[in-house]
Amino acid sequence: MAEDPRPDAALTGLEGVPHTGEAIGADGLLVEPQAEDFRSAKLAPREPGWFKGAVFYEVLVRAFSDSNGDGTGDLRGLASRLDYLEWLGVDCLWLPPFYASPLRDGGYDISDFRAVLPEFGSVEDFVYLLDEAHRRGIRVITDLVLNHTSDAHPWFQQSRAEPDGPYGDFYVWSDDDQRYADARIIFVDTESSNWTYDPVRGQFYWHRFFSHQPDLNFENPDVQEAMLDTLRFWLDLGIDGFRLDAVPYLFEQEGTNCENLPRTHDFLKRCRKVVDDEYPGRVLLAEANQWPSDVVEYFGNPEVGGDECHMAFHFPLMPRIFMSVRRESRFPISEILAQTPQIPDGCQWGIFLRNHDELTLEMVTDEERDYMYAEYAKDPRMKANIGIRRRLAPLLENDRNQQELFTAMLLSLPGSPVLYYGDEIGMGDNIWLGDRDAVRTPMQWTPDRNAGFSSCDPGRIYLPVIMDPVYGYQGLNVEAQLNNQSSLLNWTRRMIEVRKQHHAFADGDFADLGGSNPSVLAYRRRWRRPDGHEDIVLCVNNLSRFPQPVELDLTEHRGARPVELTGGVRFPTVGELPYLLTLPGHGFYWFQLVESGDEGETR
Amino acid sequence: MSAVTDPHDLVDKVVAELPERLPAQRWFGGKDRPVTSVRPLRTTVLGEDPLLVHLVVEVAQPDRRAPYQLLVTDLAEDYDATADPELAGRLLDLVAEGAEVDGLRFAHEPGVELEAGLRGRPITSEQSNTSLVFGSQYILKLFRKLTTGENPDLVLHRALHRVGCEHIAQPLGSITGELDGEPTTVGMLQQFLPDAVDGWAMATTSVRDLMAEGDLHADEVGGDFAGEAQRLGQAVATVHADLERALGTQRADAGDIDRTVRNMVARLDSVVAAVPELRPYVPALREAFDRARDTPGAVAIQHIHGDLHLGQVLRTVQGWLLIDFEGEPGAPIAERTALRSPLRDVAGMLRSFDYAAHQLLVGQPEDHQLAVRALEWSRRNRAAFTEGYAEAAAESVGDPRGRGYLLRAFELDKAVYEVSYEYANRPEWLTVPLSSIARITGEGVR
Repeated sequence: MAEDPRPDAALTGLEGVPHTGEAIGADGLLVEPQAEDFRSAKLAPREPGWFKGAVFYEVLVRAFSDSNGDGTGDLRGLASRLDYLEWLGVDCLWLPPFYASPLRDGGYDISDFRAVLPEFGSVEDFVYLLDEAHRRGIRVITDLVLNHTSDAHPWFQQSRAEPDGPYGDFYVWSDDDQRYADARIIFVDTESSNWTYDPVRGQFYWHRFFSHQPDLNFENPDVQEAMLDTLRFWLDLGIDGFRLDAVPYLFEQEGTNCENLPRTHDFLKRCRKVVDDEYPGRVLLAEANQWPSDVVEYFGNPEVGGDECHMAFHFPLMPRIFMSVRRESRFPISEILAQTPQIPDGCQWGIFLRNHDELTLEMVTDEERDYMYAEYAKDPRMKANIGIRRRLAPLLENDRNQQELFTAMLLSLPGSPVLYYGDEIGMGDNIWLGDRDAVRTPMQWTPDRNAGFSSCDPGRIYLPVIMDPVYGYQGLNVEAQLNNQSSLLNWTRRMIEVRKQHHAFADGDFADLGGSNPSVLAYRRRWRRPDGHEDIVLCVNNLSRFPQPVELDLTEHRGARPVELTGGVRFPTVGELPYLLTLPGHGFYWFQLVESGDEGETR
Repeated sequence: MSAVTDPHDLVDKVVAELPERLPAQRWFGGKDRPVTSVRPLRTTVLGEDPLLVHLVVEVAQPDRRAPYQLLVTDLAEDYDATADPELAGRLLDLVAEGAEVDGLRFAHEPGVELEAGLRGRPITSEQSNTSLVFGSQYILKLFRKLTTGENPDLVLHRALHRVGCEHIAQPLGSITGELDGEPTTVGMLQQFLPDAVDGWAMATTSVRDLMAEGDLHADEVGGDFAGEAQRLGQAVATVHADLERALGTQRADAGDIDRTVRNMVARLDSVVAAVPELRPYVPALREAFDRARDTPGAVAIQHIHGDLHLGQVLRTVQGWLLIDFEGEPGAPIAERTALRSPLRDVAGMLRSFDYAAHQLLVGQPEDHQLAVRALEWSRRNRAAFTEGYAEAAAESVGDPRGRGYLLRAFELDKAVYEVSYEYANRPEWLTVPLSSIARITGEGVR
């Protein structure tokens, strides 16, 4: 690479497509594509706080639908499936990175922030997707990696080739590899140091992740401006927000572990200000895989309702949900929610059961890791699922009742639910494809060739469709489940619909109701409507595979009547005694508590 | 309802009907023999309209007299005021006010501010006392059978709270009356933990899960309890260490140990006289008790829980708590408040794990496979509990496994007590302590 002097020499497949570093200006600055060079999408309707009640859907562009028959999913293909997503009730798509990239880290190694990976399409295709999504009331957010770039990024190429040029200080360079010794190495399997020597520049560069992902130098005001301009580029095109990847690591400081530093928060406040001032209604979602009490820092100042990220993922909840059902004990979930602090008014958690990553125990507190290991390490079946990627259905041994229970909890616990593509039809995984790809197989649309995902020659497809007798696309696909009223797909859609009818699920406060039966998790979501009335939803989950009774203390709601939400059945009125319910194995109830005298369900 | 308005008429009526009503009360501890007479000892009017009267009566039975506490009203057919949410709430208000009514003193703990005006409801799981829950904040335990003096439950809770113990429910107040001219605790108010589940329910959930599997072992099933058992062991050890910090520790001398062993042997002799099924184990039991004298090093004695089992521990989102520091309700007060080895509590929990493991098998046709599973569960969780205890044990107590003979003697002593209890009350369960005795005496000390 060093021999070729062009700054975009390491970018592949972008010939004839606007990209960073096509030319160099007289000032030595790289020419970069600008938003004005493209048509912008019509914006989604202005609706502050939309994300608090939204149902998110993580979809891999590569895996969803192939529009041009090359065997790889693309932006146009995704756009062609928006009717389905609208029907399902999805409010917002989360797309993992679709930028130009050498793909050595699943696209998180971005080599040009302003170009689309050619096999996915173009910036124009992305704008088309945005338009089509917005037309259906669906928003789109995508991952943006602030912390680092690919080493193929023209910025890095310039930085290593011209230390005195305008990009010379864009990365963290050092003559030795001794600084910031207190920062841990995150990818211990592949990296032995956070420093790597660059023979071109004759210095070491800093990287918290892979050595092919040099960290940007946020000390440099030009880097901060360049990254803010990156945000503006996509926001100008009409995107609804970003999931900010690896946010805790932006700054370095000697004598610290270089995580969550105050200046990192200062920069996030700058990002937020750009959004608030220039793009109100768009959202920033933090990916900080840390303990909830630390993650809340990324919401910013609670006195102003939060002034950093609008949302953050709640990481420890997911493994706790799995542990609770396995142990038939509500305590793993109750404990983690009890340890979750209040978040500012204008903020929301993102919660999930599965995503493209593994069931991870990394980046939690030592105490939590001990707790999880104490529980899991003795449990071969759970241990086998740590650190590998599985889909929801196989993790639950394809048990329909458990899939429904897990989904019901996802849709009713505090936070905006994030579904993972394919889990709504109970798709399987293919562990023979290896860790990374096992859960990234093509979406199963029909029983036709390539599961209806692509018209290509089956040999050309990016990953084989699932063909095993249980999860194979011949039987398990969207078309078949659409035609079956009792399918998981139709059930999921119905539950999403019910969730949307009750704002308490989105914005209600949360109270764990305890109860004498350790296998039953019961909680109340309560939302005070602007008219002063309350929308109160009661959720009762049987974590055990056996039928269970539970007596709930509902004395606060004496005289109220629980109305079951999926069928509208009116249950007996709450009296002085503990309220008795019985649940089938892995069963659950959603009720609205209606004041006596009210007719039926109110919303 | 009845038209009684004069408190004395009400008390006369209640006392006259009590001999007949008492045996039906769950908390009444004298169901084994007839009630010969009941006489009022003290009457305190707490409310006029509706009538709320605090009453202490003496219940006479052949060879026995015991004072009991009642709260009565004319509102209810059975005169029971604790079942009325408003009247129960009045008790909380009095504690919040710090009231004193005719020598009955209601007090909140120093620095505690209580929210008054909450309705009270009795909880149903209580056996020998009556507990009222207010809102989701407070629980008031009314001791039914009264013992002269300060109740050890209150004393130990206060001592533990003073040293910042995290494994108890905070004591918030008390009600003190007078008995035999001495101030006597009649009630204790504590923080209520609405999310709590008792250890027995937690453990049997796990056992049930194991029993439903045909071919999986205790360490393979989803409902494994070992992690919880280990944390429970840590909690018990921490409470012991806190009790030591608060109230001190002593070293048992040879005389103390000799007395302990002689008490064990005496209990064995009296039980075996009544229960012939125990006879085959007598030589092994005697030997095991004797071996307790060989315990190496100094044995620490201190205040302990005294009646620890899985029903006396609560799982909350903050972790495990211990409750009911009254000691064995049947034992005399001198024994309940005596300094004893913390290993007694450890032994009590170990016995409880055995019970939890076997409770589903009682009364069922014999099933070898399930019996093996039960034993597996018991071994696994006893080991995890002991491990947890050792991790957090105070230096004076140390690892219970280093005191094997003494621990085994305590456990067998408890099992002998269980034999007598089951023989008298639940003959079907007799096999549980008997098979444990067979196993423990057959295994030796590891």
